[in-house]
Amino acid sequence: MSETNQDFNKSKAFLIDMTKCTGCRGCQVACKQWNQLDAEKTEFFNGEGYQNPPLMSEHTFTRIKFRDYEKNGQNEFAFYKEMCMHCNEPACASVCPVGAFKKTKEGPVVYDAKRCIGCRFCMVACPFGVPKYEWSKAFPLVRKCTGCYSRVKEGLKPACATTCVSAITYGDRGEMIKEANKRIATRPEKYLKKLYGAEEAGGTSVIYLTALPFDELGFKPVTKRPLPSYTWQALRLVPGIFLTVGSSLSLLSWFNHRKERIAKEEEQRKSGATPKEES
Amino acid sequence: MTAAKIIINEIKGYHRFVKFLIVLVSLGALASLVRFVFGLGVTTNLNDTFPWGLWISFDVVTAVPLAAGAFTLGAIVHCFHIKKLEPLVRPAIVTGFLGYSLVCVGLLLDLGQPQRCWHTMVYWNPHSPMFEVSMCIAAYTTVLFLEFLSPVCEKFGYHVPLRLLRTIEMPLVIAAASISTLHQSSLGTFFLIAVDKLHSLWYNPLLPLLFWVSAMCAGISIIIVEATMSHKWMGQPDESELLETLAKILPWVITAYLTLKLFSLFALTEGPLFNRPGLVALFAVEMLGGVIAPLVMLMNGNVRENNRLRATAAWLVIAGVILNRFNVSMFGMEAPGTFYYPSFIESLVTVGIIAAHILFFVLIAKYFPIFEHHPETVDYSIPDNFHKTDKGPAVHGKVAGEA
Repeated sequence: MSETNQDFNKSKAFLIDMTKCTGCRGCQVACKQWNQLDAEKTEFFNGEGYQNPPLMSEHTFTRIKFRDYEKNGQNEFAFYKEMCMHCNEPACASVCPVGAFKKTKEGPVVYDAKRCIGCRFCMVACPFGVPKYEWSKAFPLVRKCTGCYSRVKEGLKPACATTCVSAITYGDRGEMIKEANKRIATRPEKYLKKLYGAEEAGGTSVIYLTALPFDELGFKPVTKRPLPSYTWQALRLVPGIFLTVGSSLSLLSWFNHRKERIAKEEEQRKSGATPKEES
Repeated sequence: MTAAKIIINEIKGYHRFVKFLIVLVSLGALASLVRFVFGLGVTTNLNDTFPWGLWISFDVVTAVPLAAGAFTLGAIVHCFHIKKLEPLVRPAIVTGFLGYSLVCVGLLLDLGQPQRCWHTMVYWNPHSPMFEVSMCIAAYTTVLFLEFLSPVCEKFGYHVPLRLLRTIEMPLVIAAASISTLHQSSLGTFFLIAVDKLHSLWYNPLLPLLFWVSAMCAGISIIIVEATMSHKWMGQPDESELLETLAKILPWVITAYLTLKLFSLFALTEGPLFNRPGLVALFAVEMLGGVIAPLVMLMNGNVRENNRLRATAAWLVIAGVILNRFNVSMFGMEAPGTFYYPSFIESLVTVGIIAAHILFFVLIAKYFPIFEHHPETVDYSIPDNFHKTDKGPAVHGKVAGEA
């Protein structure tokens, strides 16, 4: 779980301006290099469009999703950099039975492979569909974008943000949101007047600016409420329910058994001094 | 004769159905070995968009409420003190113990790193419903094991542990009910995190409560079915009079469930309900066939008194609960356009687990005093003030009588 009362404005965040993305996929390559991920054998058009590899996987932590559309009679591309959103209050961290996920104070949500038992609850819980599984292995683990925690810890920028020439800005989350709003204000005709990630899932450490509506680009519609609160509203009652059920059943059975014992003793007294009961 | 020969001769004497079960269990065991050699990706139809399949939907999410008979009946008999139902408690406990042991097996197969299952006991995360459920399942399997030890001790005539078990019986029953309340409901909490994934026909904040109440329905129905079947097929004593009493309790629980379900559906659900015809059909079958039909049947006295009709109503309830769990954990979770169906090996393992449950139940009932338990002879009052002098002989007499 995240450390409580953390000031998320001070943690690091990505500002990804999709209008400035050229679809060069340098971020994908940088990610593979830094995280030493295997290449995937792919071919063009085996997914929904030009994107390659077709999906994020155990070997691909980020990918650029291509969307072609028509503007003024011309074919255009719009892009979406899919990656871990590094939520302020991550669902994966809240559901993991062994606490293998942790929101760091620097911003990235990191995964401890040594703890993981491979239950895949994080994959069910993540609203963005980020954690991926090593399906090919007999004893698989979960893989996902690390937010380049090993770099960020040392004061460097994540690999993808370092490589990207135009679209990715990396810095304090408060600053990034301010910058995003400034860009919308200065070029209102260019941008959709919404930020994706400012409030999604209770706020994430990846903020997107786009020109096209989010759902057209493949962004998932996600609740604005932090996901852990959905389960916690039930789980917080657990100790209370345990004590209530336990104590009320104890009381109930104590009363019922006492009634029976008294009745039996009464019977014994009436039937004289024979202590042995025949039933 | 060597021990092996004795065992082989014993197995040769079994009914053909039992031998068939043994084959199914062995096939399931082989199939689960395949999972450990070739990995989950090859043996199952799971993938990154649908990470939980048949093994979670049936072996865990469905099997747990089906094993709820033990705690429900334990509480009814010992806490609410409806003592005449006592002869049904032992079969229910055996079912519960087997059910939970097999849930553990199913879970271990589904985990990526089963050798690390002890991590849940060490790295606590109280915010995780999975943590809570795994702790509860571990605790409850232990409780059921202790409760199951009673017939074992009786069989071998171990007096001292038997008396010890008798002393802790009430605490065990109460622990069983409290722990079960927690994890039966927390299985529903699992799916509260799937906010935009689980369809709104099933997603609502009362899901944990609904899981708990429907688990009690399933538990009671399983006891009815099990007693009817073991009377019919295994020549065990006829308990129809007791089952009638249970069948009187059952409609109340179903009504409670139905009320809660309707309330949560109309008052607490956000999002469209009828946008996916396939899911609406599943929902209709679940509610009409699995809740309303058995409720109407069981409200009729003739149905409750008739062995066959009563068992049919109980079967409907069980089918309803199974469908409900599949709807929540499988069908309702599938994004539009995606479709998951279990692979051959996944199905083989689950069939093996079901077969193992029936097989072990039959064998345990064959060799241990499960149905021949005569509670009239046993004093279950809580020993206080050490008024125990009159209890000793009863225990001894009973054990000596059976040994």
